[in-house]
Amino acid sequence: MKGLSVGEKLFIEGGIAQDLRTDGRRRLTYRPISVETDVISQANGSARVRMGGTEVIATVKAELGRPNAMQPDKGKVSIFVDCSPTAEPTFEGRGGEELATELSVSLERCLLGGKSGAGAGIDLSSLIVVEGKLCWDLYIEGLVVSSDGNLLDALGAAIKAALSNTGIPKVNVSAEASANEQPEVDVSDEEFLQFDTSGVPVIVTLTKVGRHYIVDATLEEESQMSSAISISVNRHCHVCGLTKRGGAGVDPSVILDMISVGKHVSEQLLNKLDSEIAAAEADEEE
Amino acid sequence: MEFVSPEGLRLDGRRPMEMRQIRAEIGAVSKADGSALFEMGNTKVLAAVYGPREVQNRSQQMSNQALVRCEYTMANFSTGDRMRKPKGDRRSTEISLVIRQTMEECILTHLMPRSQIDIFVQVLQADGGTRSACINAATLALADAGIPMRDIVTSCSAGYLNSTPLLDLNYVEDSAGGPDVTVGFLPKLDKVTLLQMDSKLPVDIFENVMQLAIEGCKAVANYIREVMLESTKKLEYCRGA
Repeated sequence: MKGLSVGEKLFIEGGIAQDLRTDGRRRLTYRPISVETDVISQANGSARVRMGGTEVIATVKAELGRPNAMQPDKGKVSIFVDCSPTAEPTFEGRGGEELATELSVSLERCLLGGKSGAGAGIDLSSLIVVEGKLCWDLYIEGLVVSSDGNLLDALGAAIKAALSNTGIPKVNVSAEASANEQPEVDVSDEEFLQFDTSGVPVIVTLTKVGRHYIVDATLEEESQMSSAISISVNRHCHVCGLTKRGGAGVDPSVILDMISVGKHVSEQLLNKLDSEIAAAEADEEE
Repeated sequence: MEFVSPEGLRLDGRRPMEMRQIRAEIGAVSKADGSALFEMGNTKVLAAVYGPREVQNRSQQMSNQALVRCEYTMANFSTGDRMRKPKGDRRSTEISLVIRQTMEECILTHLMPRSQIDIFVQVLQADGGTRSACINAATLALADAGIPMRDIVTSCSAGYLNSTPLLDLNYVEDSAGGPDVTVGFLPKLDKVTLLQMDSKLPVDIFENVMQLAIEGCKAVANYIREVMLESTKKLEYCRGA
């Protein structure tokens, strides 16, 4: 992040204190979001999300694999994020790896639930083909193309859009094989099953600058943050995951306050995102 | 395998001398100084240029010319099957080098001493001809960043399969094992800056194939000029001139 002068820092902080940020937004307003689906034709599902100067691409690829022995009735989902040097010259070489790992882990925590898969936004049992033998492995890949703050929310939104764009090929298990043999399958390339993405949460990051907190911080605002809390909330207003970043300590009562504000904001974001995804999909069909 | 049908059509329905559809968009990354998206059929490449700016690593600073750097990265989802390759494998390093040398040649580096220009190309979808697409995208991004250049460099590939010269190979044709000639061309100066070929080819046929690739480069150059003109007009309009 390029250095800010003392004046600029005061301007950002003062603006936030007065509920009028440098780009004219209020504390709890998002930048305009635009969603485009099916941008990568090789993937089963993909989406590009733009939030102001931030741009991310998420893709979903499905591969047939074996379910985990501990959970024979569940498929597997993993999330990888990559930071392209096009977004920031410092991401060159291995420079983006640290941020990429931080983002992937936060996303997994916010979207995939616990180790057992309980509380996951994606219904893992819907990925099973033959119990204990065959399941779909979903590989979700995010790519940060342009970065202007709030990458986590943008990636969360892109993954949600990509999942609703995903078609999993229908699998016909031909003959019933014996207990320890791998069953033979016929993957259809015409029939696709859609996912139920209504349970996939959205991520809202509240960034604390000074005594106030804001949503959808830009890169300049993020450089002034003391701490940030990312909350993932689903359609039923349940908190699905939570990450706190930044070193500064926060009073527990403030955290609870932030969570309730986050829940409120997430409702608006969810509605906005759903309508954007629907519009993008309608666009694509035309 | 038959790559050209008796009717003279290729696997994707093109004629031998036909290019894939190309599309370019300037200003795809808002934070960069210059950026462009370039598509050749299913191949999709994003380029971003940062600079000219202060040299990051002092020891690399040159007092008589600008330092040009380039990095080529492929997105994990860009190929057909999923891959997780470590960064900086040999192929990427080689392509980074090729792009850097090609672009360095056309940038007027002596005008910007003690500064650095970074070119980052990111492959979003790979379907053959990524090298060419990267060079075309980089040219557009450099032009968008307002970096002084001798000429625009454009690139296109051509191959030779089933005794027919083919323009702009896609992935299937590229991996067929035939020769693949990639040409980088300066259309105004009428000069070839990049020439690569794998596999072998008789000299007289090579001449035809190279000529075909050059024709492809010229076609790309015309399109790139159109896109740049349009973007300049837009800028002029924004200024209220």
